[in-house]
This record gives sequence, C-alpha cells and structure tokens, in this order.
Amino acid sequence: MDEMDFRPSAAISLGVELELQLLRAHDFDLSRGAGDLLALLEKRKLPGAVKPEITESMVELNSSVHRHHGSLRDELAVMRDAVVKEAGVLNLRVAGGGSHPFHDWADRRIFPTGRFRSILERYGYLAKQFTVFGQHIHVGCPSGDDAVYLIHMLTRYVPHFIALSAASPFYQGEDTLFQSSRLTSISAFPLAGHMPFVRDWAEFLEYYDKMRGFGIVASMKDFYWDIRPKPEYGTVEIRVCDTPLTVQRAALLGAYAQALVAYHLQERPRAPARAVYLVNSFNRFEASRFGCRGELVEPYESRRKKIGADILETIETVMPHALQLDGADALTELAADVRHGYSDANWLLECHTVRGSLPDVVRESAARWSGTPPDAR
Amino acid sequence: MDLSFLPQLPFALSAPIMFGALLAAGLLAGEAANRYASLPRITGYALAGVALGPQLSGLLSSEVLHALSVLIDLSVGLIVFELGFRFDWAWLKRNRWLLVTAVAESLFGFGAIFGALAYFGFEPVLAASAAAIGTATSPAVVMLVAHELRAEGQITERALLFTAVNSVFAYVALTLLLPLLHIELQVGWLEALLRPLYILGGSLLAGAAACMLMLALARWLGKREDRQFVLLVAMVVLTVGVARSLNLSVMIALMTLGVLARNLDRRHVLMPLRFGYGGQLFFVILFVLTGAGLEFGAWATAAGLVATLLVVRFLGKGLAILLFGRLSGVRTGGAGLLAIALLPLSGLAVGMVRDTSELSPAFGKELAGILLAAVAISELLGPLATQFALRRAGEADPGARGG
Repeated sequence: MDEMDFRPSAAISLGVELELQLLRAHDFDLSRGAGDLLALLEKRKLPGAVKPEITESMVELNSSVHRHHGSLRDELAVMRDAVVKEAGVLNLRVAGGGSHPFHDWADRRIFPTGRFRSILERYGYLAKQFTVFGQHIHVGCPSGDDAVYLIHMLTRYVPHFIALSAASPFYQGEDTLFQSSRLTSISAFPLAGHMPFVRDWAEFLEYYDKMRGFGIVASMKDFYWDIRPKPEYGTVEIRVCDTPLTVQRAALLGAYAQALVAYHLQERPRAPARAVYLVNSFNRFEASRFGCRGELVEPYESRRKKIGADILETIETVMPHALQLDGADALTELAADVRHGYSDANWLLECHTVRGSLPDVVRESAARWSGTPPDAR
Repeated sequence: MDLSFLPQLPFALSAPIMFGALLAAGLLAGEAANRYASLPRITGYALAGVALGPQLSGLLSSEVLHALSVLIDLSVGLIVFELGFRFDWAWLKRNRWLLVTAVAESLFGFGAIFGALAYFGFEPVLAASAAAIGTATSPAVVMLVAHELRAEGQITERALLFTAVNSVFAYVALTLLLPLLHIELQVGWLEALLRPLYILGGSLLAGAAACMLMLALARWLGKREDRQFVLLVAMVVLTVGVARSLNLSVMIALMTLGVLARNLDRRHVLMPLRFGYGGQLFFVILFVLTGAGLEFGAWATAAGLVATLLVVRFLGKGLAILLFGRLSGVRTGGAGLLAIALLPLSGLAVGMVRDTSELSPAFGKELAGILLAAVAISELLGPLATQFALRRAGEADPGARGG
C-alpha cells in the first residue's frame, strides 16, 4: 500500500503526541538522558508509546486512539506516572511547557539516529534550536477529501490552539513577552507554514508528487506545517500547540479539537476560503504574542475580534457536539480559564515573579507536571 | 650615584610571584599535554608540579609546599563542596539500589585492598587503615575531568555520587580505626576515643553551622547568580579556614556544607552552582601542588605490590557495581566503565597517610610509601582512566576540547 493512501480511521477519534523536557535534578537545565530513560521504559508494559525525539533532552509520549478525551486523559496520566517514576531512578525530572526557559541551544546533542543526524546536517543550528516541545493532536478522518476540507476549516482556529496551549514565555534565559515563543523556532524552517490551498486529496497528491519530484521533500514528515494530513493514520494533525504543563490540559485541548472537527464534519457550516490564509500569519502572531488578549481578523466576516472572545463564542457553537463526545465538561473548563485569563504561560510568568529565578520556574513546572503538590512558599 | 631605589638581587619570591608562576606553568603544561600528547589537561598540571617539585628540580621545596598547603585545602574545599552539593538524598530515596551499590562499592574496594595487604603479611590494623585510605576515589580528578569534558549522563552522575560516598567512607573508617592504632600504642582510652569524636563531630558541626549561615545570607541576598557565587566562595573559604584552625577535617566539613546546602534548602533560596573560570584558577594550582608533592619513592622497590593493590581495588569496586549496578539502573556495560572512572586514588590519601604516620610511627614506613606511590601513579594515570570511561560511555561533549 502506498504511504500516501489515506487510510480512513474512525471519524473524530482522538490521539495526541506530547514532547516532554528531560531535566537534570541539580540545576534544572535540560539533561541528555533520553537514551537511558527509554531503555528503562522498554522493560515496562505501557499503553501508547514513548519515543526518542530530535535531541537527547526530550522524549515523546504517543497516546493510543481514543473516542473520548476522558480515557485519553487517564491513559496520559498512566504514561506520565511511569515516565516520571523511571526518570526518578535516573535522577531526572520531567516537565511540560513549550520551551526550556534557560537552556543554551548550543549544548544540545542530537539523538543518534540517521534521520535526526541528517536533519542536523541539513539545518545546522536550526536543528538544535528546534529543542522546543509541542503537543500534536490527531483527529480521525473518514477520507482524504475530508482531511483537506478539515485542514482548511481548522486553520481559522490556529490562533485558538496557540492561545489555549501557550506555555513558552521564556526562551534562552529571557522573558520573550510572547505567550508562546516556541512557534518562532519552527517558523525558521523552510517547510514550515501551511498546506497550500488545494481542493481535495487528489489535488493534494498532485502537489505532493511535484514537491517530491523537485527533491524538496522525501516524505510527509518533511512538512513542518501548522496542520497537516497524516494519511497512514487517517488523521489531520494539529501541530501548533505548546506542550501544556499538565496532562489534564493536554486532554482538554484534545477535547476542543475533537468538538471542532465534529462540528465541521457534521454541519459543514462553511466552504474553504483563501481569505483564511491571507490573515493567517497576522492571527498567528497575535496569538503567540498576546494569547487570548490578542486580536484576530475573522476571515469570513472581515472584522477584528479578541481571540479570547472568539474562543468563547466558538465553544458555545460546538458545545452540542462536545456533549455527544462527553467533552462538555472539558470545554466548560477551557472557557472558564479563558474568562479568568489563565494560561500556562501566565502561570510560568507568575511563578517567576514569586520565585525570582528561572531554575525555580523549571522546578515548579516539573512538580506541576508530575502532579505533586507545590512546595511551601 | 645612589641606586638604593633599585631592588636587591636576587629578590625574594613573594607569594604573588609564586602563585602567578605556578598558575602559568600549570596552564602551559596542561595545554601542551593536551595539544601534543592528547592527555587530559589535569595530567599536564600534575606533570608541571612533578617537574617543579622537590623530587625533580626542587624549585618548589618541601617548605614552600607546606606553606602553600592552604591553597590545596581551598581548592579541595571547593571541589568537595560541589561534590556534596550534587549529592541528592531524594535520588537515593527514589532509587534504593543506588545507595546499596554505593556502599557496596566502598566496602568491596576496602575488602579487596585489605585482603591483599593481609595476604602480604601486613598487620590487620595497619592493613585496614591503608585499605580505608585506599578506598577513596579522587573527587578532584573525577569532578575536573567531568567538567573538562562537559560530561553528562548516568555514568558521570554515578561516578560523582560514588566518589562522594567512598570519600566519606574512607575518612570515617580511618577515623574510627585510629583508636585501635592508639590502643596498640597504649595511649589512654579516653584520648583514643575523644580524638575521632572531636574530629568527626566538630567537622559536622562546622559544616552545619556554615550551611545555616549561608542559607540565611542567601535568602537575604535574593536570587542573583553573581552575588550568590561570591557568597558561596566566601562560605567555602571561611569553612576551610575554620576547619584548619580547629584541627578539623576540611573534607568532612566541606562535604557536610555541600550536602546540607543541597538537602536542607527547602525554600530553594540557593541558585544552581557554576564555578566557571574562577574555579579553574584554584584547580590548576591544586594539581600543580599535588604533583609537586607526589612521592614515587616506593615505586622502585614495591612496584609489584602497588600495581597489585590498584588492580584488586579496581576488581573489588567493579564487582560491587556489576552485582548491584543493574538494579540501580546502570545500563549494560556501564559497570565496567564506572569502575574505570573511579580508578583515580584520592589525593586526600596523602593527608591521611601523613596524619596517620604522625600518630603512629608503627604505620610502617613501607606501607605509607606504598600508598603514596599508588597515589602518585594514579594522579598521573587516573585522569586518563576517568576520561576514557566518560568518553566511552558517550557522555563527553564531542565539542569539548578535552584531552
């Protein structure tokens, strides 16, 4: 079977990938313990999978496929506990968050596999600066054409996912003033951006074959798009989220994506529009910089709105679908966070103000990820 | 014409001249060893010391070395403090086999040396004292090779942890053995017991008091790396000075300061530690002076015994790590590398041998000579072993210009 054949998957099924930070216990800088950690985890029976990522400072949790975000959350919690426990044996800590607040990118070492080495060779320092941590959300699609349609639809909501997941205000030891600084490191890659405005799967394949013919890409993996189709899983993959600080929030984001997909697949409220891509980089910047307090340009109505307000409206619109997917609680929780101005980025900023140093922020963030109560202040 | 404004020649070698010259000599020798012979820089520093020391050129006389011994204590103090500061109780709690492995590593090392010495017919108490001294791995070598290679990973972390444990083990075991030596010498019971109690208890107290003071001051200073760095150096130097003045153990006091600072800092007022370039100054001096003080005397007469001791020590340590290492999460093949990394005998042994010899002339000249020869050889070859192990473990930074 051709790797580009779209294998239909159960519509609106849900799965996530979480890239995690591995930290040294003594100074909370990034460690390089991925190899040892993965070797220990191999001995355990776990749901999902834990995989190496581009540098030895990260591992990736892959969930299995779920129908509801509740079971996804429970599975992620099991995986998290196992990873935290085995990391403890090696005196490593694990944390979420989209960036490590103060690591020096030049210290990073590439995980020794052929693919990662070739990325380093090709992209130079970009590859090491790529030590950022994202959540990828997969939602199942019945066909390639549906995937193309969904990508055009979901692109409008890219700023939502950025704002809701934002957890990388610090980068290279500085407060970037961004809610999510992580996306900037990804934008530097030549194949970052978005899928072209194709009408259906056939047209997408035409484009893909051309790019392969030019020798620009070797596989779908070479596109670092915000949202891309994943034919071998039969999913669309939303890739703009920072890894949140908790598995709970990772599951909430999954629930939101699932409800959005259900709404668009079942109601088909809009047709794809080029205007979405005209405003995309502006909206994306606003969301990365200001989070929910930023403004987006609504491409269908050609007007500006607060991102937070737009999220709340959208949640209301998709709520009936969330109800059917057991996701209503999740969306209510997300909406409450938006109203209260909560974001993981703000939590990290607040932690920095209270604690006074970035290693403290990382320590607290690791404790939060592990689900242990914070230390006495 | 009155030329009295000109200095008298030859002018006296003042402390700054000595310090600067040693630093430059060490630095150049280290760089040369690294560039032309691919040796660790530390070996180069020590070789410079050997060349300048009483054994070869005599530019550094024994008196000068004695006068400069405070510099050794300061450097060792900084290193032992850092070693303690990386000693994490929480890790031992999460990984109980780690503590078992660390203790077994010390015990097996001790047992192996003791067995060999007893086999060669040394008195049990003397053999046990020598075995205690010989168990310790050099904190300076392991720490500095790890720094130089920017090594990071499980083998490096464990090498540092085991070094901390076997250094403390060695010192405590020796201190507890001293009363036996005293009793053999028919010193009063009370004195025989009070002395180790005073040294151990006093060193612990000194370290603990310094830690409390440091935490209080750090809290007041706030989270600024530059200020905390100065505070840290100040407290280390102060503690070294206090320990010397009160005839306490610099090693135990500074280890206590480090371990408590890491593990009692519940409010997390201390920032992570980076000695950087400042520390480097002390470390060059440390190895030059250690090199100058090395004694190869017994090497010629007892090469076989020295080599035997080093080999059985390696086997003992290796066996312990092999038996328990896997249970504590050491990967396959890691046990051997760890045992190699732990090869360098501690320069602290020099001080311990002297202390013991002073107390008890019965601490045979021969045995002292053998230990010192073993230290000498492993000061020079030890860094190579540690470097090899950390490189082989894949934990050295390929970009770091190590040896």
